[in-house]
Amino acid sequence: MNKKNKNPFKTPEDYFDSFEDKLMEKLSKTESTIPKDSAFKVPDNYFESFNESLQEKLNTEPKIIPLFSIKKIVAVAASIAAIAIIALNYNWSNAEELSFNDLANTDIEAYFENNDFELSSYEIAEVLPVTNTEFSDFLSSPIDSDNLLDYLNENISDFDELNIEDNE
Amino acid sequence: MIEEETLVLDLKSKSKQAQAFEVLVNTYKERLYWQIRSIVLNHDDADDVLQNTFIKVYKNIDGFKGDSKLFSWMYRIATNEALNFIKQRAKLQGVSDTDYQERLVSNLEADVYFEGDEIQLQLQKAIATLPEKQKLVFNMKYFQELKYEEISKILDTSVGGLKASYHLAVKKIQQYLKED
Repeated sequence: MNKKNKNPFKTPEDYFDSFEDKLMEKLSKTESTIPKDSAFKVPDNYFESFNESLQEKLNTEPKIIPLFSIKKIVAVAASIAAIAIIALNYNWSNAEELSFNDLANTDIEAYFENNDFELSSYEIAEVLPVTNTEFSDFLSSPIDSDNLLDYLNENISDFDELNIEDNE
Repeated sequence: MIEEETLVLDLKSKSKQAQAFEVLVNTYKERLYWQIRSIVLNHDDADDVLQNTFIKVYKNIDGFKGDSKLFSWMYRIATNEALNFIKQRAKLQGVSDTDYQERLVSNLEADVYFEGDEIQLQLQKAIATLPEKQKLVFNMKYFQELKYEEISKILDTSVGGLKASYHLAVKKIQQYLKED
C-alpha cells in the first residue's frame, strides 16, 4: 500500500499556502495593546507648502559647470587608462612580493604614533632587541660627551648605580 | 494618476522635467515623509531628510534603470537617507546609535508635534529597543500598512524573512508594554 494513501485526513485546498497569512492576520488581531495611531503630527499646511521650500532648496544647490567637454574627458581618460595598463603590466612582470623591509621607517613610525597600542614602556622594552642598539638610535641629535658627563655629575651620586661593567 | 513609466520618461526629458518633478513630489511626499519620520521621529529632521531625498531623486533620476518600481526606489533612498542622518547625528554627539535613538524618544515628551498619550509614548520607547531591521519592518507594516511584497522590494529581503521579523517585533513590543 502506498504510504501516502495511509493518511485518511485531508486539508482544504491551498490550506498550507494561505496558512501564514491567516496566522499573521490572527496575530495582528491580538495586538490590542498596541495603539494604531502613532501620534506624530505635522505643522499646519506643511505638505501644501513643501513643494515651495523644496524648490527653494533646489535653487540654492550649487550647480556643477563642466570645465571640459565630454569628448576631451574621454580622450584624457583613455590615455590615462592606456598608461596605467602599460605601467601595471610592467610592474606585474617584475613584481616581487612586498615584505616588512619594504616599509619605510617613517611609515612605521607614523603608524605607531597614530595608533594607540596601550603599551607601557616596559612592554615595548620587552619586545625591542637590546643587542646592537645604541643610545644614538633613539635620539634625533647626538649627545655631546661633555654634556653627558655634566649630566651624570649632577644627577648621579653613586656611579655604581650605573652598573657599568667594563670601565675602560 | 499619471503612469509611472511616463513619469520616469518625463523626468528624464529636459522639457518636461520640471512639471514631472512636481507630480512626483506631490504623489510621494506624504508617504516618504511618514517613512522618514518613523525613523528620525522629529518633524524638523524629517523635513530636512525629505528635502534631501527629493534632491537626490532629482539628481539621480538618469541613473534609475527601472529594474524596480519608482516607488520602491524612492522609498529605499528615503530610508537610507534617514538611517544615515541618525548615524551622522549620533557620531556628531559622540554617542552610539542606540543611545541617540533613546534620546530621540525621550525628546518626544516635549515635542509639540507629538500628541501621544502615555501608551503611545511607551510604544515608541518599545520600538526604539528593536534592532534596526525589525524597527523598519514594524513601522512599515504596522503604521504605514505597506504590503509584505512592497517592503520586500524596498528592503531587498524575502517576504518570509520580513514576516518573521515583523512577528518577532510584535512579540518584543507586547512584552515591553506588558512589563512596563
